[in-house]
Amino acid sequence: MSAIEIDDLTYAYPGAPQPTLSHISLRIEKGDFLAVVGNNGCGKSTLCKVINGLIPHFITGEFQGRVRVEGLNTQESDVGTLAQKVGYVYQDFENQIVRPTVLDDASYACLNYAFPDYLERGKAALHQCGLEGREEEYIWQLSGGQTHLLALAGAVSMSPDVLILDEPIAQLDPMHADRIYEVLRELNRKHGKTIIVIEHHTEYIADYCRHVLLMKDGRVQWLLPTGEALQHVEELEACNIFPPQVTQAAYRLQKEGKLPSGAPLPTTVEEGRTAFSALRCRPGGAAAPVARSAEQRAVSFRNVSLSYRSVKGEPRSIFDGLDLDIRKGEKVALIGSNGAGKSTLMKLMVGLLRPQSGTVSLFDEPIGAKKAEDLSRQISLVYQNPEEMFIKDSIRADIAYAMQVRGMPDWRERTDALLERFQLTQLQHRDGRLMSGGQMRRASLAIGVALEPGILLLDEPTANLDIATRREIMGVLEGMKDIIQTAIIATHDMQLVCQWAERIIVLWGGRVVADGTRDEIFAQQDLVDLVGIRPPEIFSMARQLDPRALCYTVDEFTNCFQEA
Amino acid sequence: MERIMNKLSESVLDKFSMDFLRSQVLKNAYGNDDTVIAALDPRILIVWYLFFGLVPWFVNDLPFLLGCFLLVMVTTLLARVAGLVLLLFALGVFSQTGYLFLATLLFGGDASAIAPLLVLTLKVATISLASVTVFSGLDPDRLSSGLMWYGCPERLSFSISYAYRMLPMLMEEFQNVLLSYRLRGNPPAHDTLRGKVRYLIYQVKIIMESFYPLMLNTAKRSRTTVEALELRGYRYAAVNKTVKKIKLSTLKVSYNDLLFLALSALWVALCILCSTLF
Repeated sequence: MSAIEIDDLTYAYPGAPQPTLSHISLRIEKGDFLAVVGNNGCGKSTLCKVINGLIPHFITGEFQGRVRVEGLNTQESDVGTLAQKVGYVYQDFENQIVRPTVLDDASYACLNYAFPDYLERGKAALHQCGLEGREEEYIWQLSGGQTHLLALAGAVSMSPDVLILDEPIAQLDPMHADRIYEVLRELNRKHGKTIIVIEHHTEYIADYCRHVLLMKDGRVQWLLPTGEALQHVEELEACNIFPPQVTQAAYRLQKEGKLPSGAPLPTTVEEGRTAFSALRCRPGGAAAPVARSAEQRAVSFRNVSLSYRSVKGEPRSIFDGLDLDIRKGEKVALIGSNGAGKSTLMKLMVGLLRPQSGTVSLFDEPIGAKKAEDLSRQISLVYQNPEEMFIKDSIRADIAYAMQVRGMPDWRERTDALLERFQLTQLQHRDGRLMSGGQMRRASLAIGVALEPGILLLDEPTANLDIATRREIMGVLEGMKDIIQTAIIATHDMQLVCQWAERIIVLWGGRVVADGTRDEIFAQQDLVDLVGIRPPEIFSMARQLDPRALCYTVDEFTNCFQEA
Repeated sequence: MERIMNKLSESVLDKFSMDFLRSQVLKNAYGNDDTVIAALDPRILIVWYLFFGLVPWFVNDLPFLLGCFLLVMVTTLLARVAGLVLLLFALGVFSQTGYLFLATLLFGGDASAIAPLLVLTLKVATISLASVTVFSGLDPDRLSSGLMWYGCPERLSFSISYAYRMLPMLMEEFQNVLLSYRLRGNPPAHDTLRGKVRYLIYQVKIIMESFYPLMLNTAKRSRTTVEALELRGYRYAAVNKTVKKIKLSTLKVSYNDLLFLALSALWVALCILCSTLF
C-alpha cells in the first residue's frame, strides 16, 4: 500500500504567475526511505508542505489535484489530524523549537493535542532519537546536532507514519550527520516509518536511502531505486546535484575508457573496491613538504585560558594554556567537531572575547592595547550567519559602510569594484536578507574584505549551502587568495579544507591536537578517528585501494589511478 | 592613577558586556529552580504577592512596614535572585526616594526629613522585593501556569515562556550585530572629555541602529516558527479546555506552601501586634 498518493497536483503560491508544482502524480510506498533531490527552487519544499497539509490549509494559493496521506485526503482533513500522520522537521530547525527545556519541547505537540500521556510520549520520542538522559536540560545547552535530534523528537512524539526532513544535515559536522541518519534508519527499519528527506549530500543518499525522486521545474522527473538513480550522472549534474565522488570518478574513468563501459557505476566506497580493483596507483610526484614560513607572526596566542560562565555551577573551561602562532601569508583551516572551540578562537582574535589569562596578539601587539580602528584594518570576521552582517538596508550600503565612515576618498569606486568582483552589481540595491543563500554569502565576503584587512577570518563559509552554491563559493574563495594575505577558515567541510588550505589546525577539547599540511593530517588514521573528522570520500576510496595513495579530489584520483 | 582609572572603567565595561547580561538573564530565569521559593506552588505565591504588593501602599505605620520589608528581604535571599536584578533594584529605590533625602539636606533640611522619606522608601522597597521574589524566584513556566489558573489567557502565558526561550538567542544575535558595527564602524576618538561625550552618543546611536537588523532577522526567523506552531497544535490547544486541565494538573499545593503562608501570616500578625504596642 502507498503511504502517499498524489494525483495530478498543480499548485501556485498566492499571487505567483507560474505554478510551483505542476501536474505531479506520485506514489510513495509505506516504509520507504526516499530522498528528494533537485535544483534550488524546483519545488521540493513546496511538495513536502503539500504532504503535511500546510498547503492548502495554512498557506493558501491555487490548489488542484488530490493528495492522500495514509488514506486521508489532505484537503478534507485539518492540519491537526494530518500532524498525527506526518511529522516535519524544517531546515532552520532551531526556529521550530518553542519551549525552554528538552522534555517540554518534545512533548509540546502531544500536550497541545490533549494526549493525557504526553510526557511518556515525549520521553519515548527522546529515547527513539537518542536523547535520553537530557530531559531536564535547557535547549541552549544542546549542540547543533542535538538540537536537530530534539526537533526530530518533537515530530516523532506524535508517532506519525511519515517523517519529512528538509536538509537535515546541512549545518552539522560529519559525526552528528551520521548520528541523525542512524536514528532515521532505525526509525525506518524498526518502527516502520516512511521517511522523506530533501538532501543534497549524495554520499548519504547512497548509504541510507532506498529511492530517489528527481524534481525539475516543479515536475517529477523520475523516481528510481537509489543505485539506479545515481547512475544518471549527467542528468543529475544538469540539475546541480553531484553524485558521490566515487561515482563521479568511475564515470570519468569510463569515459576515458580506463574502466569497461556499460558496467554499473559504484555509488559507495564498498562498491568502489570491486569496481576499481583493476586499477593501480601510479605514484605521482609527492608534493614537497611546504617549508614553514618564517614571516612575521600575524596572530599569536600565548598561554591563553578562557572559560564561559554557565547558568549553574562551575564555569566551563574552553581553553587552558593555549599556545598558537599563525604567520603572515598562511591559509589556515581550523577543524574539529562542534564545540571544539573554533568559533571561540575566532572571537578571541577579533577581541570580542577576552582571555582570563594569557595574551592574544595581532602582528606582535596585544589586542587589548589596540584602538578599534587599527583592529578593523588588521582583521575582519565573516560570520557563519550572513544576516548578522547586514546592518544597512541594501548590500551596496553595507559594503560601503566601513569605507564611508572612515572617509576614504575613493569609497564609491571601491564599492563599485567590490560589487563587480563578487557579481553583485545587479543586486546592489536589495536588502541582503532577501537574497538567496549563495548571494548572501558572496555579499558577506565582500563586506569582510572591504577594508582590505591583513587577516580574514571566515566562520563556516560553506555551511547551509547546497552543493552547487558551495562550489561557487569555493571558487570565490580561491579567487580571493590574491587580495587577502592571511586567511583562517573554521569549517566542517573537508572538501573545502583539502582544496583550499595550506595548513590545517585540528582543535579537540580546546587543545591543538594536530597542525600540518593535509597529507600530514589525513594520513594519521588514529587522529582522524580520535577527532571525528572525515576526509572526502574519494580520499578514503583511494586509501582503500592503496594505503599510500593521497588523493583529495576526483581529478587527483583519476590521474593517480590507471590501468595496471 | 590614570592607569587605575583605565583598568577600572575597562573592568566595569567588561562586566556589562552582552555576554554578562545574557548569563544574568538566564541565571535569573532558570538558574535557581532548586530554591525553596521556586518549589512553592505558583498560585500560592501569586496570592502572597497580591498581599505584599498592595497592602504596603495603604499603610503608613513604620514598624509594620519595617516588618514586611524584613520578610520580603528574607524571601528574596531564599530565592537567590541574580546580582544584576538586585543592583537594578537598589538603583530603582534610590532614584525613587534616596535622591529626595539628599536634596532635602542640600537645601537646608535636617534629619527630621528622614522619617517620612523612610516610610516611602520602605513601601517602594517592600513592593519591589516582593515582585522580585515572585517574578524571578519562579521559573517562567510555573509562573505562567499560575497565571493561567487564575484565568489569564493562554496566549499570555505562552508569550511569557516563549519570550524567555527567545531571549538568549536574541541577545546573542544582538551581540553579533553590535560587533558588526564595532568591527566596521569608526567611533570618534575618546581621549578628551568632549570626545568621551561624543563617543557615548555614538554608542547609544549604534545600539539604537542595531535594532533594525535585529528586528528584520527576527521577522525572518519567525516564518518557520509560525508554521511550526501551527503544526504542533498551538492554535488547537488555545481553545481546548482539556489541554488547559492537563497543563494545570501539574500544580499541587503541598505542606510547604501552607507552611510558607502560615509563617508569613504569623510574621505579619506579629508586626501588627508590635505596632499597636509601641
